[in-house]
Amino acid sequence: MICQRTLIIAALLCLSGCSVLMLEQVDFGWPVESVVTVSSSNTIEDVRYSVRTGVGPLAREEFQDSTALRGARLRLLRNSAGFYFLTGPRFKHVYVFAPGPSTLTLNRAIPVTETGLKDPALNQRPPYVELVDGDNFRRLLTSDDIVEVKK
Amino acid sequence: MRRILFTAFLLLAACAGATAQRSDYALKTDFEERARAIAARLDSASTTEAIDSAREDITKLESDFASHSEFLDKALYPLTFTESISRLRSLQVLTYDRVYLIRTQGVKLSELEARISALTARLDTLTAQRDQLFGELQESKKSLASLREAVRRLTANLSAKDRLIFAIVDSIFLPYGKDLHQVADVQKEAIAQRLQNANVVTRVYEIAADNVKFLDVTQLQGKDYAGLIDQYQAFAGRWAGLKEKMTDVAATSAVVAGEAGTAAHGGKPAKGKTPAHAAAESAATQAAHVDSVLDDWHRRLIAGFWGGLQKEFAQAGITVNEFHDGPSFAASVRACIASLSASKQDPQPFVENLWKQKIDRDWRDGLTREGMLGRAEYAALDRAVSELSRETIDGTFVAYIAGVLALIAGVWFFVFRKKKASPPPAPAE
Repeated sequence: MICQRTLIIAALLCLSGCSVLMLEQVDFGWPVESVVTVSSSNTIEDVRYSVRTGVGPLAREEFQDSTALRGARLRLLRNSAGFYFLTGPRFKHVYVFAPGPSTLTLNRAIPVTETGLKDPALNQRPPYVELVDGDNFRRLLTSDDIVEVKK
Repeated sequence: MRRILFTAFLLLAACAGATAQRSDYALKTDFEERARAIAARLDSASTTEAIDSAREDITKLESDFASHSEFLDKALYPLTFTESISRLRSLQVLTYDRVYLIRTQGVKLSELEARISALTARLDTLTAQRDQLFGELQESKKSLASLREAVRRLTANLSAKDRLIFAIVDSIFLPYGKDLHQVADVQKEAIAQRLQNANVVTRVYEIAADNVKFLDVTQLQGKDYAGLIDQYQAFAGRWAGLKEKMTDVAATSAVVAGEAGTAAHGGKPAKGKTPAHAAAESAATQAAHVDSVLDDWHRRLIAGFWGGLQKEFAQAGITVNEFHDGPSFAASVRACIASLSASKQDPQPFVENLWKQKIDRDWRDGLTREGMLGRAEYAALDRAVSELSRETIDGTFVAYIAGVLALIAGVWFFVFRKKKASPPPAPAE
């Protein structure tokens, strides 16, 4: 009897020790997008939030040329859930990345226009990210898709 | 029909304008660029007209972006929207002040700021020395000579700090003349900012607190008090003057900011406290703290003084009624004189050993200060003590004279009367 109880207590202790500490209701959202210029070394850097990354693979994906983005001004915004939204002029997609250890992994490339964006901007509209391009182009995005189209 | 179409077109245009998509980033940069442009105009302004125009632009900027203040509070990090506007207003006030001073007083703001800065640096040096001196005071408690030297140096240090802080205050107020009521509101705001930048109230508080600490850790002698009383009274008087001026400029700053805030919010009062209101409240709180520590300083000084004097009586073996201020001291001394006079006790220990050797020598300077006993009352007490001494001298003198007279009478009785008693022998015939 005593042996059984000891085993149960030991099992409970083991289970509680194995559970992962998790902090919830974290808001990663930036209040305003960062407008970053792609450097000659094909990187972008946001000083306020200390984010630096290479964009060669992104340029290859969007324009089939890893150097196509050099000198371009890209728009970068992190939403409340922690995904990075990235786009820029002539882009047909908004790229949504999930952060990992020293990496940004593509979560979804959301197609937004066939002709390419002209002067895009990303706005934080929790729980969405708003994409605007001039006066008559507006999309509400999640990390996976477009949820609303308004003109 | 044409009119209807035109109205419909206008409505559509208005709707389009209202729903026009706008980037938050563009909003932020628009605000920043307009703020930068106003700041640049203020930097180069050389006339009050240009500054007044910039002031209107600030109000317009605040009004244009007030509806986005929540967003801008986050986007303009580390500043908030209100802080950004306040910075512009401060810049406008200081620029106005700079232009005004150069035009009217011939005083360059840079010279004034340099003077305040130099005085502040000297004050900080003295603060560092003060810490060292308090340390020395603790260490030198065993030797009386070194203790006296430490007390002397610390007193000089505190007195120098006292002079310096009010020299800073004078430097801030001097260019505006004596009558603060004639100074424009915008300059009062500049004075308030300068007082805040020089940390004047905190420094005044520190000096008062240093004096409290000094009284707390130091064993003072009677002759030390006169200087300390003078220092306290001068400090309290200057603080009262400064507080009055500060209240004036703080109230003006709050009113100026309130008007600007109301104008920016379309005639409605701004929500919450503006920085100027907060600063005015903070100044009032700080002033209350200074008042409190000044009360403490006064209480300790007075308690130390009358307590020390009471100890002198006890050490001389003279019992007097307890006293704690000028009137009760005078009453105690008069009661003592009356008691000595009535009891025919020898008043010499009181008159010579206590009054002349101790009180008149060490405590007179402190006692004659107004607010303690006062010059006239001290003179009256001194006269009363002198009369007690004269009564003693007169009694002795009378006794002495009586003794001498008795001796003369004795001699006369024995010598001359004996001669009369034995008649001369009759001559032999």
